[in-house]
Amino acid sequence: MTTPILIAFPKGRLGDELVPKLADTPLALDPVALKSRVLRIPTATPGVSALLLKGADLPRYVAAGVASLGIVGSDTLDEMDMDLLELADLGFGACRLSLCALAGVTLDALRARPHLRLATKFPKATEAWLTREGLTAELVPLSSSAELAPLLGLADAIVDLVQTGGTLKAHGLVETAVLGRSSARLVAARGAYLSEPARLRPLAQALITALRGA
Amino acid sequence: MPVRTPHFPDLLFGSAARLRRWEAALMGLLAEQGYRELHPSLVLREAVPEGALRFFDGDDLVALRWDFTVALAGLLARSFPAPPPRVAYAGAVFRRPVQPWEAVERFEVGCERIQQEGESSTEADVELARLLMAIPGVLGLKSAILHLGNAALVRRPLEVEGIFGDLAEATVAALSRRSPHRVREALDGHPSAARLTAHAEALLAELDGPSTLAALDTSPYADLLEDERHHMDRALKALLPILPPNLELRVDLADVAGLGFYTGPTLRLWAPGAQQELAAGGRYDQLFPGLGRPWQAAGFCVRLSRLLDLADTRPDLFEAP
Repeated sequence: MTTPILIAFPKGRLGDELVPKLADTPLALDPVALKSRVLRIPTATPGVSALLLKGADLPRYVAAGVASLGIVGSDTLDEMDMDLLELADLGFGACRLSLCALAGVTLDALRARPHLRLATKFPKATEAWLTREGLTAELVPLSSSAELAPLLGLADAIVDLVQTGGTLKAHGLVETAVLGRSSARLVAARGAYLSEPARLRPLAQALITALRGA
Repeated sequence: MPVRTPHFPDLLFGSAARLRRWEAALMGLLAEQGYRELHPSLVLREAVPEGALRFFDGDDLVALRWDFTVALAGLLARSFPAPPPRVAYAGAVFRRPVQPWEAVERFEVGCERIQQEGESSTEADVELARLLMAIPGVLGLKSAILHLGNAALVRRPLEVEGIFGDLAEATVAALSRRSPHRVREALDGHPSAARLTAHAEALLAELDGPSTLAALDTSPYADLLEDERHHMDRALKALLPILPPNLELRVDLADVAGLGFYTGPTLRLWAPGAQQELAAGGRYDQLFPGLGRPWQAAGFCVRLSRLLDLADTRPDLFEAP
């Protein structure tokens, strides 16, 4: 019995960049299914389907072996301690993980606060940066719309992904420090990749070729 | 394949019978090859690591047996002036899971091959690999894959470059992810970054066939690792002619699992499509010297709990009983 292969693709920003890159490749997603509300989409290769998942859930599907391959941002991977393989840096979806505050608030001003509050959905990366900088802070966990936190007094600053800076500018925020960089990564389920390389390596290579935009 | 292991699994009739049958068959195979059973106590009173299940017995902090190899090593070092050459074990170990789907209670069968320090280890390593090659047949697996690795391929270059502690951990974690780009990131700014990244790329180059060893030619550490390469080459030459049908032998140069423990050749058994290795082991020459005994050892452990899961979720991988 040959089981079907599932590849986990992210919804949202990375997904929007990814789908057009796969057009006209063996892993192109079925356009009719894409327009529907289904989350399991056939690809142009029989026996290979795509799952559309939220980035934060995606590594779990791959680590558990439900999906054999996946595409996810390195920022998400770094926040989650999942046992999976990271086969390639695909380069696209590049952005910065930055400390952002209201315009006019400097990094030194933030450092000087006796009780610094940082809102973020990246607590692990934020904690690592605070440790490197010798700072302490109260972390305010948020899962979305972090830009509102400094505006409304929920936090002094935020740690969030910045791609073009447009959203920051719209909310009167500026980057005060860059904590790290993120890009899309090709990940694989350890068991599936090590026990069935003949099935998965060609698919992994096809994804790398299509998505690196060689 | 869905993973459905509960944390504290109760085995119902079919699984309980399968566990008993497999334990008996594997211990029979080991006994035929001269491995004698030892049964370390389920409750251990030595210093216990994080991850063990600990509790107070009166004023004493004790732990449930968390690892057979460590428990056996303590028992052997305490009780024997010279090492019994071949020992086997069967039973449960208890560990807090690292991944959410792992069980706390895990059933295992395994063996250890122990020698005096300085004796040639080549024959012992091949003996263990041959034994592991017989196990898929005993368990009724239709097909399996045996990965041969060598922990020294990563340990020795790191030691030569003076990389220890957090940096070594980050480098090994990147290799475990099979990510040369993460190795580069981890070593950014270190004088050996370019060399070790090139080495990582060599280790990750191939995963099939005896020609995989040729990938080491491109490593900056090819000369340093000459002995390891010859050792793997000799093992392949001894094992390939006697490979059972439906068992594939692969060289996995980037196997770094358990690198803090293993010092030389490693073995891992997979079934096609299984999400976790079904048996694993290797050479660990530093354990007994640490207990005051000049002995070297290697062994492997068959993870029966994972096999029971696999028999439940992928019965198509097994011959009909």
